[in-house]
Amino acid sequence: MANRDRLPGTDGKGRYIGRFLIYLTLAVFAIWYLAPLYVVVSTSFKDLAEIRGGALLSLPHEFNVSAWHKAWSQACIGVECTGLKPYFINSISMSVPAVLISTFLGSITGYALTKYRFRGANIIFSLMLFGCFIPFQVVILPMAQTLGMLGIANTVNGLILVHVVYGLGFTTLFFRNYYVSIPDDLVKAATIDGAGFFRIYWRIMLPLSPPIIVVTIIWQFTQIWNDFLFGASFTTGGAQPLTVALNNLINTTTGVKHYNIDMAAALIAAAPTLFVYIVAGRYFVRGLTAGSVKG
Amino acid sequence: MATLTINNAGKKYGSVEVLNDISMELNDGELVVLLGSSGCGKSTLLNMIAGLESISSGDIRIDGEIVNDIHPKNRDIAMVFQSYALYPNMTVAKNISFGLEMRGVEKEKRDELVNSVAKMLQIDHLLNRKPAQLSGGQRQRVAMGRALVRRPKIFLFDEPLSNLDAKLRVEMRHEIKKLHTSLKATMVYVTHDQIEAMTLADRIAILKGGVVQQFATPAEIYSRPANMFVAGFVGSPSMNFLPVTVAQQGNEIGVHLAVQYQGKSENQFVPMRNNDKLSQLLGREVILGIRPEMITQLENAEKDLATLHCDVEVVEPTGADTLCIIKLAGKDSIARVSPIHACAPGESMGFALDISRACLFDPVTEELIS
Repeated sequence: MANRDRLPGTDGKGRYIGRFLIYLTLAVFAIWYLAPLYVVVSTSFKDLAEIRGGALLSLPHEFNVSAWHKAWSQACIGVECTGLKPYFINSISMSVPAVLISTFLGSITGYALTKYRFRGANIIFSLMLFGCFIPFQVVILPMAQTLGMLGIANTVNGLILVHVVYGLGFTTLFFRNYYVSIPDDLVKAATIDGAGFFRIYWRIMLPLSPPIIVVTIIWQFTQIWNDFLFGASFTTGGAQPLTVALNNLINTTTGVKHYNIDMAAALIAAAPTLFVYIVAGRYFVRGLTAGSVKG
Repeated sequence: MATLTINNAGKKYGSVEVLNDISMELNDGELVVLLGSSGCGKSTLLNMIAGLESISSGDIRIDGEIVNDIHPKNRDIAMVFQSYALYPNMTVAKNISFGLEMRGVEKEKRDELVNSVAKMLQIDHLLNRKPAQLSGGQRQRVAMGRALVRRPKIFLFDEPLSNLDAKLRVEMRHEIKKLHTSLKATMVYVTHDQIEAMTLADRIAILKGGVVQQFATPAEIYSRPANMFVAGFVGSPSMNFLPVTVAQQGNEIGVHLAVQYQGKSENQFVPMRNNDKLSQLLGREVILGIRPEMITQLENAEKDLATLHCDVEVVEPTGADTLCIIKLAGKDSIARVSPIHACAPGESMGFALDISRACLFDPVTEELIS
């Protein structure tokens, strides 16, 4: 068979040049995106003198964790010099319940919307979906009033409520789309077997849900942990989440700017979401595509 | 052990009527097949009996008690689904015992019942597996085990064999038949496969467009179909429908059949029996329904049958029989002959017509006349 029958670029010199250009482009982009991360990580391990030296891209001369230590327990946020620790705890005690509650509620709502097709189920689902597209800023004022009326303004519990309510649209969407792919016959069979709404949920639907639970937890955790606007709007002082504290830490300067502490603080703030991705990440893609293929 | 009575039951989705005025009565221990093509409402009717769909009008009684508003779990029924609907997260044993557990049966009693059912269905070696590790036939058995273990009053089967391959389907059909014989339970079985219906049923209800066309024994449905739909649906290959006119020749009443013989169209008179009824139809156009096995080779045929000679257009050997396609009354008709006597396509051969078993239909209403 003559060469001209082959696909272009699969033979001869052209092929190597093509490959080289592709890998070169990929490498350039990889460096472009990884450079800031590198700067943040390396700066966090430098001492202030070295930073002042100006070699932004050089590796730290000696491995110095004092900036991490200060960011965690000594850095001043406003007038309180407590470090990020109390705010980290705030964020954990806000995100964990908010993620779990919103995931659970989304799951049971998704189950009701798909397997108990009551009158108006589609309208309710559309409205919940609509909730996903409402920008944060729109709900700030009414939410502040609601929190005030409920007496949980400026508390971690208030933030939990905000995030549960705001997250419900997304979690319901995830679970609904996953449960649609689970055959209705299962629910019919269980109904005839004598199981009710909640028994079917606990014994059949929930054991089939781990992939979508992982997706939802990752999604919700990232959203809630990284949220700045709600935290800044609804809390002050001691009840603030980590993101707000990080902002205040960086804005609180007394003369010299401690870049190494800022960088370490930023990494501390990003660590939990990274951790969740690393632990559960491989389920993420699997869960996102689940439902498209029956299995 | 129970009777099932359906009185004028109907189902509407909004203004769309899916089932219209269904009435039937099932005796204790009877297996009734609901037969129809897809969309005829047979599964809807089954779901209504199960309680998974509400009943728009009329009522359904189990043992004389109206169950319209009774929850499925309290109707004492069990259902086998086409998709098996096994709980994927549970083992076979858990799948079978789930219904018992929901009803508060004690663990020891449950295990005992599960084991006896598993033995009966020959799945006792699979009890610790998950459904995903089973083959189609095994899953089907587990699904039946789940239904059997509770010993319900009524068994409902929703196309249980449709997902199996042809060979397994026949095997499982035999199993279900044996099961029915040994349990003597009342069963409702939905299928679109007329062979399943004919082989399994004590009685068949044929549905079309949400209306029962005929509710009778398989033999009666086969030999005296209520209308052309039933006649065409049951039997394979299906019945030949020939438009003919009732006529008199001498003192015999019969029909004129146009036959293609040696390239020429000939009109042949075929006398029919029971002249009294037919005499009222003289001169009328009717549809003669004649099954392929009623047109056979002339050789070895009984003497008093009507005979025809005609050209064979196509020959289809099926093994046991050979199907010959011939032109009768201008229509392609199928004759079922013995392979030894079948001629080559394009040749002509003699056929014997067992017209006494043929049916006559009204060409307008498509109902059976005689």
